[in-house]
Amino acid sequence: MDFMRQANKYGVRSLLLQGLTFLSVLTSAFMIWKGLSLFTNSESPVVVVLSGSMEPAYHRGDILFLHNGYSPIEVGEVVVYKLNDKPIPIVHRVMKVHTENETGKQYLLTKGDNNMADDRGLYNPGQLWIQRDEIIGRVKGFVPYAGMGTIWMNDYPQLKMGLLGTLCVLSLFSND
Amino acid sequence: MYNFLQRLSALTSFAMSTLMVLAILISVTTPLIPSSPTHAVTLRSVQTTTGRPVDPFDKTSRSAEYARLTFDVDADLSSMFNWNTKLLFAYITADYRAPGFETNRVVVWDRIIRNPRQAKLRLRKHHNKYSLRNYALTFEGVEAANLTLHINPVPYLGLMYDKSATSIPLSLPRAAGPAGQVGR
Repeated sequence: MDFMRQANKYGVRSLLLQGLTFLSVLTSAFMIWKGLSLFTNSESPVVVVLSGSMEPAYHRGDILFLHNGYSPIEVGEVVVYKLNDKPIPIVHRVMKVHTENETGKQYLLTKGDNNMADDRGLYNPGQLWIQRDEIIGRVKGFVPYAGMGTIWMNDYPQLKMGLLGTLCVLSLFSND
Repeated sequence: MYNFLQRLSALTSFAMSTLMVLAILISVTTPLIPSSPTHAVTLRSVQTTTGRPVDPFDKTSRSAEYARLTFDVDADLSSMFNWNTKLLFAYITADYRAPGFETNRVVVWDRIIRNPRQAKLRLRKHHNKYSLRNYALTFEGVEAANLTLHINPVPYLGLMYDKSATSIPLSLPRAAGPAGQVGR
């Protein structure tokens, strides 16, 4: 408590302390994210659903918790995959699996529950199957609509900047 | 002493932690709720034909062998609905061993069941919704084939728990010879 009082007396020190607290919050969040990533063997263990192609199971704005692991993919599992050339990950269900004997290589075909046709139209031109390494994770847990904020922030970038700005200002000027 | 913002932040953080604990409790307990579904699949016939151009992206689809199944489904899955069941995703897979490919699993039929009323299935002479073909062009050397009904409950909130609560291995969609009709 003595230390806190002293820090408040010297403006520079308190400002530095605030900065340090802010940085430690940022780094611990980053550490948790990367730790989860290691544990689940998935580059992004938490994703937000961006499209309605899996309705009525998953809607836009739902949060999905992923676990990739190392085991082969099973048919019927809902997976998130990201094609090499396309930046946006897609959440769809696996409809066909063919596993090669010697290499264990898997040929997978996916389809959205709400789509009439399978995903061959979404894959890269000429690509008929996706591979195991294109899969980011399988859906293990689910929270409805909790990611709506992310979608709004993506749709309206001003909202994101404003929110970040107010957060920074508040963290600098709060006395705690 | 406490201003409005502090009260607000205390209230929201308490609400968030309460909601998180509740969500975890719900996720953990939902798979433990017992259910007693009944289900049966019977295969009526299997026909194979060569070259149905069903896939505009796959150039081999003109020369590949396709199986057309006819099957019945009798199931009462209404007991699988509890207060945390959004829907049941029911699907039938054909799985088999083929030369060079240890496991092959293909979804041939699916249905989204959204309420207990729809969960009583009595399907007669249904065909596969999705094409059934081998990775190779023909079904030659295909063995140990089964038809299996899987149920995947999707919760309102929580874990996607064990999807195949129910599975019945069934009959062999065995096709042989060059594009002939093969009965059971």
